[in-house]
Amino acid sequence: MSEQKSQSQTAQTTGHAWDGDLEEYNNPLPTWWVYTFYATVVFAIVYWTIYPSWPFGKGWIGGASSITYVNSEGETKTHSWNTRALYLEDMNQAAAAQKPYFDKISAMSYEQIAKDPDMNGFIISAGKAIFADSCAPCHQSGGQGVVGFFPNLTDDDWLYGGSYDKIHETLVGGRRGYMPAFSEVLGGEQIDQLANYVASLSGIGHDAAKAKAGNALFHGEAAACFYCHNADAKGRKDVGAPNLTDSIWLWANVPATAGNEGKVAAIRGVIANGLNKGVMPAWAGRLSPEQIKVLTVYVHELGGGQ
Amino acid sequence: MAVTTDSGAEQYNFDIVKKFAVMSLVWAVVGMFVGVYIASELAWPFLNFDSPYFSFGRFRPVHTSAVIFGFGGSALFATSYYVVQRTCQARLISDGMASFTFWGWQTVIVLAALSYVMGYSQGREYAEMEWPIDLLVEVVWVTYLILYVGTIMRRKQSHIYVANWFYLSFILATALLHTFNNLAMPIDLFSMKSYSLFSGTQDAMVQWWYGHNAVGFFLTAAFLGMMYYFVPKQAGRPIYSYRLSVVHFWALSFMYMWVGAHHLHWTALPDWTSSLAAAFSILLLMPSWGGMINGIMTLSGAWDKLRTDPIMRFMIVALSFYGMSTFEGPMMSLKEVNALSHYTDWTVGHVHSGALGWVAMISFGSLYHMIPKLWGTQIYSRKLVEWHFWLATIGIVLYIVAMWISGITQGLMWRAFDEFGNLQYSFVESVAEMMPFYAMRAIGGMFFLTGTVLMAGNMFMTIRQGKRENAILDAKLAHA
Repeated sequence: MSEQKSQSQTAQTTGHAWDGDLEEYNNPLPTWWVYTFYATVVFAIVYWTIYPSWPFGKGWIGGASSITYVNSEGETKTHSWNTRALYLEDMNQAAAAQKPYFDKISAMSYEQIAKDPDMNGFIISAGKAIFADSCAPCHQSGGQGVVGFFPNLTDDDWLYGGSYDKIHETLVGGRRGYMPAFSEVLGGEQIDQLANYVASLSGIGHDAAKAKAGNALFHGEAAACFYCHNADAKGRKDVGAPNLTDSIWLWANVPATAGNEGKVAAIRGVIANGLNKGVMPAWAGRLSPEQIKVLTVYVHELGGGQ
Repeated sequence: MAVTTDSGAEQYNFDIVKKFAVMSLVWAVVGMFVGVYIASELAWPFLNFDSPYFSFGRFRPVHTSAVIFGFGGSALFATSYYVVQRTCQARLISDGMASFTFWGWQTVIVLAALSYVMGYSQGREYAEMEWPIDLLVEVVWVTYLILYVGTIMRRKQSHIYVANWFYLSFILATALLHTFNNLAMPIDLFSMKSYSLFSGTQDAMVQWWYGHNAVGFFLTAAFLGMMYYFVPKQAGRPIYSYRLSVVHFWALSFMYMWVGAHHLHWTALPDWTSSLAAAFSILLLMPSWGGMINGIMTLSGAWDKLRTDPIMRFMIVALSFYGMSTFEGPMMSLKEVNALSHYTDWTVGHVHSGALGWVAMISFGSLYHMIPKLWGTQIYSRKLVEWHFWLATIGIVLYIVAMWISGITQGLMWRAFDEFGNLQYSFVESVAEMMPFYAMRAIGGMFFLTGTVLMAGNMFMTIRQGKRENAILDAKLAHA
């Protein structure tokens, strides 16, 4: 039976043979294939009728569907279907949902915002989006920072202060952290003594004799560390000098360095070379005052607000 | 007929076919290894080693060039030279020109890979090669065209076999695409750097006119040519429909040229250009399927071969993936679907269902058919072919499923707004979400690569066995 079938098909070949046994049947186009192709033609015509499609003269055929949108001047316009209007419409929708909250926010105090559950929901949502866009590249997505580069925003140790006003001030004007390089005025031994003293403040294993000498240097006029870090070594927020007694490290990568000697060496490096890289950009002008206010509350709520 | 014998040493130039066939396997292993490596970099970023030379950005074009132009290109040179000679009963018109295309093409791939690692790139996807390499490609390609057309003109019978139409359209279109997409002005005669003659949206449009037709003619039409010879040969049955092959050939060639702009939906491209391309992409569906139908229906009446012949299985799975990805493509070309899929891993998955499922599988099948014939022997181990088949198939499925899930997840996360009108997710959250799927994709790639390595080993043994058998035969003939 199959032989019969193959014989009847053989009769349908085109009669050519290549490379010995290569032949072709001349079966008709499958009906379903033809009709599905026609269906795609109909689809294409409908698609072209709905959307802008063919160029015509110096313009193009706009298509049947249109979009009504509000432009940046607040005028309502209608245009044939178009990507940019659609985008504008999407953005307008989002802005409309944000508007009632942004309208309220400038008149509210930080404390009022923090106590209002609805407003707080908005802060978490909008703050997260602004933070992810503007802050996360340095301070990381969770605000945890990077030791050696960017401060942690989730703890209660603040270089310039963690009150609403101070956070706001930091955001608006930016900050520039600076510490002179003490290798220019002190000898290597003195720097080592200072490093041992600073290590002792955070309970890191140190050389007691060196630390004692370092203590004297810290509070004396030769090194004068106390000018900025204060006599109690707890820092001065008005100049952004960090607290050296709380075991929280930003510049010297003490946590990741193994062994007491290594930790002391890390501290020594910062004292010797100083710092001129604690730069945070100013956000006034880049973000709206309302956005900065949202961000202030958001950062305050990351965990360490005072 | 004398022409049906396989050892037509004088009648045909099989030496060039052998060279390209071997290099296609070499590039398959190299290119797929780099692919697995960069997939692993995405899953486990420490593999970048903080070195520019190991970075994803430089290795990625090494991967695409090695698999598309190295593996795919060499497989196409090999099979097209094999097919054109056998179906025209004519030797290639010039051994020297053939040899030039071989050495020229291999040099192109090596130079391209080296230049990418050193940081030279035009920044045009699938056309990253800088201008000096582009010029070499141009010369090699024109030589290929002359050689191919010249050989067809020497044919012994007036009808040109269908496979040759497809190969010829691929060679012609690629010449055209390569030339126009790489029109550029070097900044200095002794500098690798050049600037495109086009700018802005026009530049993007030219690039994607090239990009999609590279898919259309290099990765589709050419491999259809391969299919039209090796599927009926392996099945031992005539092509299902001559009429269908004519209709879908012209429909395919006509439609493909219009659709490149669907890579630029929702960009600065004018809306009319974008929807024109979207509709043509839908029109392309049935012409694409014509090839799949013709391939699969050729087997009707010989379905039992699927149980016994692993090579046939490669070809049928290739045709099935071809059908699936040419359905997925038009769907993704619709603007509404594209709004979700654009810039996501879905696109990457789609490309690989075509590249691994169709291009690689049909090449594997064809090489398994051709290599033993070239060296006048049998496949060294059919069991290894079976293993290769399953490793490759499982690898593709893992890859595509991973990319579907991660792509759709990305698309949904990026567009999600909360009730306050703010974006619900930050970009980095979507990246974190991808981790398991990137690992799954890398593992899928490892499966596929393992299969390819098995094939390379199996073919190495086959060739060695063929050489040994021929040596024994020659010795016997010398004695007699």
